[in-house]
Amino acid sequence: MQHQFRFNSEIHEVTLERTPKIWTYVNHCAHPKEDGRVRIYFEDGTKAWAHVAKVGDIWWVHHSGHIYTLERIEPGASANEHHGGLVAPMPGTVLEVLVSEGQTVEAGQTLMILEAMKMEHRVVASEDGTVTKVSFSAGDRVEQGASLLEVESNQ
Amino acid sequence: MIRRVLVANRGEIACRILRACREAGLSSVAIYAENDRTGMFRELADESVLLEGDTITETYLNGAAIIQIAKDTGADAIHPGFGFLSERAGFAQAVMDAGLIWIGPSPQAIEQMGDKMSARQIMKRAGVPVIPGVEIEEEDEERALADIRQAAIETGYPLLLKATAGGGGKGMRVVHLEEELESSARSARREAVTAFGDGRVYVEKLLQTSKHVEIQILADTHGRCIHLGERECSVQRRHQKVFEEAPCASMSPSLREQMGQAAVSAAKAVDYVGAGTVEFLLAEDGSFYFLEMNTRIQVEHPVTEMVTGVDLVREQLRIAAGEPMSVGEVELRGHAIEVRLYAEDPSNNFLPAIGPLAVFRPPTGPGIRLDTGVREGDDVTPHYDPMLAKLIVWAPSRSEALQRMRRALDEFVVLGTTTNIGFLRVLCDTEEVISGNTYTTMIDDVFPNGYEFNPTQKHLDVALMTAAVAETTGMHRMTVSSSSSKEGISSPFQTLNRRYP
Repeated sequence: MQHQFRFNSEIHEVTLERTPKIWTYVNHCAHPKEDGRVRIYFEDGTKAWAHVAKVGDIWWVHHSGHIYTLERIEPGASANEHHGGLVAPMPGTVLEVLVSEGQTVEAGQTLMILEAMKMEHRVVASEDGTVTKVSFSAGDRVEQGASLLEVESNQ
Repeated sequence: MIRRVLVANRGEIACRILRACREAGLSSVAIYAENDRTGMFRELADESVLLEGDTITETYLNGAAIIQIAKDTGADAIHPGFGFLSERAGFAQAVMDAGLIWIGPSPQAIEQMGDKMSARQIMKRAGVPVIPGVEIEEEDEERALADIRQAAIETGYPLLLKATAGGGGKGMRVVHLEEELESSARSARREAVTAFGDGRVYVEKLLQTSKHVEIQILADTHGRCIHLGERECSVQRRHQKVFEEAPCASMSPSLREQMGQAAVSAAKAVDYVGAGTVEFLLAEDGSFYFLEMNTRIQVEHPVTEMVTGVDLVREQLRIAAGEPMSVGEVELRGHAIEVRLYAEDPSNNFLPAIGPLAVFRPPTGPGIRLDTGVREGDDVTPHYDPMLAKLIVWAPSRSEALQRMRRALDEFVVLGTTTNIGFLRVLCDTEEVISGNTYTTMIDDVFPNGYEFNPTQKHLDVALMTAAVAETTGMHRMTVSSSSSKEGISSPFQTLNRRYP
């Protein structure tokens, strides 16, 4: 049984093996429960719990005090890489647009200022490049996921 | 005499107050905006009334509508909680003018303490030490900027720009270099106008490696005004507290008494009534300076409740009803720590996060208290403050309290929305927190490049195995198909300057 997940922008392949009641991966074993928990057995005889839930295409796993968000990748699907588009992570209002189309920008340069959750947030270029598109102007409301600006990388 | 209390707030603090009303045998009324229709606080009230409108100005900040609801539902008192209308003197006055009891200090006290400049002046007169700084009264943008430049020469760098009407880190900027002053000042003023409708700022010297220590006070209408010891709230990100404790690890009984007396003087200077907090900066040499007074119940009040055994919200209700406070001699017992659980991404500059609470399993056991306004199945929306819950632990000693907090955080499972739980857990293992040597800029110093979670291969393998097993065995019972899933939304904020408050 093979699976692919993206974690911290890296793709991980997981091949599970199955014995009648238990699943194994590397040297660890897992026994799923009815309530969204998974009992984990380690090689050295110690045990632990993992909690799991799926939201959209993401598996959320809690283990040992930390959360892992593992994006499920459909077998055969091409990795949907992200190219310089700057996307609003939550709804808000554009306060200021500091660049215009065609302008060259440096990594770290502030491109736009958003207000969301009563705080100001700066949208910052992640790499050197040229602004190819500015989709909003000051005062506009933006929805979550809206593409704010596009920057074409110089590299 | 109070019989029926309207709670003019929402979320966690509304739940806290509504429960106190229930315990005190008072009936209660909640108010809610449409987007809080399924909110837990509604269920804890005897009655709840919808505030029509889409913006908080039309809903939780709509004083006239709230007072009308209080009259219509037969409430005889209004508790404002914190935030929203809690520190608006005009609202307090309107409540009293409507013949209702205001659960809080007088409008005059709110006004005097709410304006940071008048508060500084009153404190100076009352003999309470204040931080060296300059008050900018000028409202015109360009002239104010000129005054700020002049003031910066006097205070030197690094300096702090603060909104005169401010709080909660809004309209506040740390300025390290002269070149940054103008843009920071403009930005601080703009944020202050948005948040408080008042763009005035003041300039003060930034005291580095100082502690934020605050004193809880209680005053009743029978002439008693006492302090209930300190809380240390030095661990902050974006000038918002994330980790609070009582008592302060480095406090001595004599310093506590000095600071306590300063806080009581501050309260008496404005004829304070009710629960309030006087915030101080405590410098390394033991000198302390008045920061501000919060004329309301505070987010971190539970740590004081845990070590003193005093129910501050019950006392607020008692004092507002005109009764004497029921607090005897205050004795501090053991150690309490509170952490604030935020829906936010610590590895992405603490940017607020939204999403469904697909799983929300808080820890239980001895010495653990959870103050929250959410439960499993709720959605975290961008409409309000991203604080989900306050996890408070009590233990006989500080080191045991820290051990208990680690255990509790490890047990706390929240899936579906990114939270700061993992970050808080890492914080509990830092040298500074273990030794109690915490200071206000500590998070920036300990995580200079931001917080990053790098799991061990073993833990990552377990997580991958768990997801694969869940996928294979169809553990979709917990599945939430939500538009707020993280899918396809990559954030542009990764390179955000960490010094941005």
